[in-house]
Amino acid sequence: MQRNRVFPAVTAAALAVGMLAACSDSDDGTSGPVTIKLLEYQQARADVVEKLIPRFESAMAEQGKDIQVELVTDPLTDDQFRTKITQQFHSGTAPDVVDMGGSHVTGFAGAGYLLQLDEYLNEWPTWEKYYSAVKQKAEQVDGHYYSLPHEASVQSLFYRKDVLEEMGIDTSQPQTWDELIGRLKKVTAETGKPSIVIPAGTAWGAGTWSEGFLPIVAGTDSTFYDREAGKWTLESDGLSATFDLYAELTKAGLLPTQALLNPNPWEPTKYKQFPEGTLPVAAQGTWGWRYDWGPNGAAPIKNVKDKVATWNYPALTPGGEPYSISGGGYNYGVNAETENPDAAVELVKWLSSDKAAAEQLTAIGAAAPHPGISDVEPYKSQPTLLDAEAKLEDSIVAPEGDGNTRVSQAVQSATESILLGKADGAEAASAFAQDAAELLGENLVAK
Amino acid sequence: MLPLLLGPSVLLIAVFVIAPAVYGIYLGFTNTQLTGFAARDPDFVGLDNYQNLLTSDEFLGSLGHTAQFVFFSAIIGQTILGMAAALLLRKKWLRGKGLFGAAILLPMVVPEVVASLTWASVLSPRDEGTFNRLIGLFGGASAAPLQEAPMLSIIIVNIWRGIALAMIMFQAALEDVPDELIEAARVDGAGAMRVFRYVTLPLIRGPVFLYLLLTTITTVGVFGLVYFLTQGGPGSATQLTSIYIYQHAFQYSQIGLGSAASVILLALLLVLGLTYVRLSKVEV
Repeated sequence: MQRNRVFPAVTAAALAVGMLAACSDSDDGTSGPVTIKLLEYQQARADVVEKLIPRFESAMAEQGKDIQVELVTDPLTDDQFRTKITQQFHSGTAPDVVDMGGSHVTGFAGAGYLLQLDEYLNEWPTWEKYYSAVKQKAEQVDGHYYSLPHEASVQSLFYRKDVLEEMGIDTSQPQTWDELIGRLKKVTAETGKPSIVIPAGTAWGAGTWSEGFLPIVAGTDSTFYDREAGKWTLESDGLSATFDLYAELTKAGLLPTQALLNPNPWEPTKYKQFPEGTLPVAAQGTWGWRYDWGPNGAAPIKNVKDKVATWNYPALTPGGEPYSISGGGYNYGVNAETENPDAAVELVKWLSSDKAAAEQLTAIGAAAPHPGISDVEPYKSQPTLLDAEAKLEDSIVAPEGDGNTRVSQAVQSATESILLGKADGAEAASAFAQDAAELLGENLVAK
Repeated sequence: MLPLLLGPSVLLIAVFVIAPAVYGIYLGFTNTQLTGFAARDPDFVGLDNYQNLLTSDEFLGSLGHTAQFVFFSAIIGQTILGMAAALLLRKKWLRGKGLFGAAILLPMVVPEVVASLTWASVLSPRDEGTFNRLIGLFGGASAAPLQEAPMLSIIIVNIWRGIALAMIMFQAALEDVPDELIEAARVDGAGAMRVFRYVTLPLIRGPVFLYLLLTTITTVGVFGLVYFLTQGGPGSATQLTSIYIYQHAFQYSQIGLGSAASVILLALLLVLGLTYVRLSKVEV
């Protein structure tokens, strides 16, 4: 009997405490501390951001804002990240802020996973100063912005100056791909090994698209993606010439086909053979200076600035000139379902400005997306990065739009068939057009 | 009383098996995507996904790869070697049965990821790969099995992993074969092969077909073991249907298409399963 009385009493007390706690939570909810979860999927980025977080929290505290940041570090490859974060966005469990490569933004913005940032950006004075190439790349097909680019890069052909000079190979800017291929053939004839790595095939994943194919096709006159119509053109002289180039490089033994077909193809090529000097040319973004070959990079090259230099992309089609291409960079996207959009945007603006941005750019090896950082240390003392930033204003912006991950998939398959010797350039171009049309559906393909 | 006893399990099956399956069938009739502007308003597209799949060389190719993989690794490899191991373990003269049995069981115990990574190391194209070290001992040049013979490589890996289950099931079945029948056949002058063909095999026909049914279902569903090794490549040489579905549904975010592909695979498995059941007359 006694037990029967105790049970309702305890239940009533627990309910009362629960109700009080709930009331107290709701009181604090509006003015209390705000916690923002920030996801980084590259260790080097997480390492530098981790050091910045306490400074951000202090800066906000000085402004009377109690914002705490929880860093979520989840080291993944680009493809793994895209697959995983897509599920998280879809199920409503994604963090408040996600740091990601620019090519991922289009798909997530289209699906409505990312917060539209136009209003926030228009009120932020720094946004006006952003380089137009960076802004253009961040603008989505509906004319809105869903991410804040906090870095930029220039895609170039990196080459081992020391190795080529020792071999007596001309290291001046090649004007055309024919000229460059002539030099590469000399290297391969002497070493008996491939002489250039350009991401290709399925194993390199999204890199085959953004670091390999796109920078080449974007330099041709052909329209690949029409932003106004929102449609892809899947057959053009530029596309044919690009597939022909891959086929020519493969047939001449200039590309490391075996390595490109293996999982993690960047390891034997960019992390082993390029640092050794046995594969002297690599298509690479600005981050190569630090993230790949810098003193704390994945495969450091001693005195990298003396041994390595860059060429612009040579012209592929007749009448063209060498060009540099904006390779984009990482962007902060804010989850459309975040409970604290203002605080999340405050964080990404702070991380994209002044000292915080300078430290990140230097650690990763990226160019500044706006001019306000070039006189801030440690970025100020990075000539290779400043040089990349200077090229941004004249660089070509590669066209990207809705469905880019599917076009990327078709490019990966078509270039893989070339690597495997199953298709020549024309066959790969035809297979690409058919494959991409199937994947994109009628609405996204120009007639 | 009966509904009360069955209720919880029926509820669980309805929530966790039937409802997702029905939802998957529904998704197969839509163009649902996870990314891109089309993800905002999925449409009902009728049989378009099925039409696209059944006219897609890539999907039909993946079905062909799956058939090849199941036939050679599960139906031929695992069954024959599992039976051989079970028969061997029945031999009274065999010494070290415990060690032999444990060696065969080990691949089944090892987690899938560990098994894959182990084989990735064995078959690595680098000179340091175990396979290349072995052939190097005999003066052979380094090879890249996962590039040069990818399908054969994954078939061997799957046989290695699956022999244990076959051996266990066949061992249990062989226990039920009366020794007198075998003795009598031998007295009549039958050799080992004839005894197996005309006495043992007919008596264990039921368990053999049950095993074939189980191994076919599980092998069609093999994903991690192959994905970790080849990711379906090189090209599409090892793109099994399970990998095709994963790539399209999750990597390329085409959930509608991936769901339709899953439904087609389910239908094919049902046909195969019913065929086995009919052949074996096993009551399932």
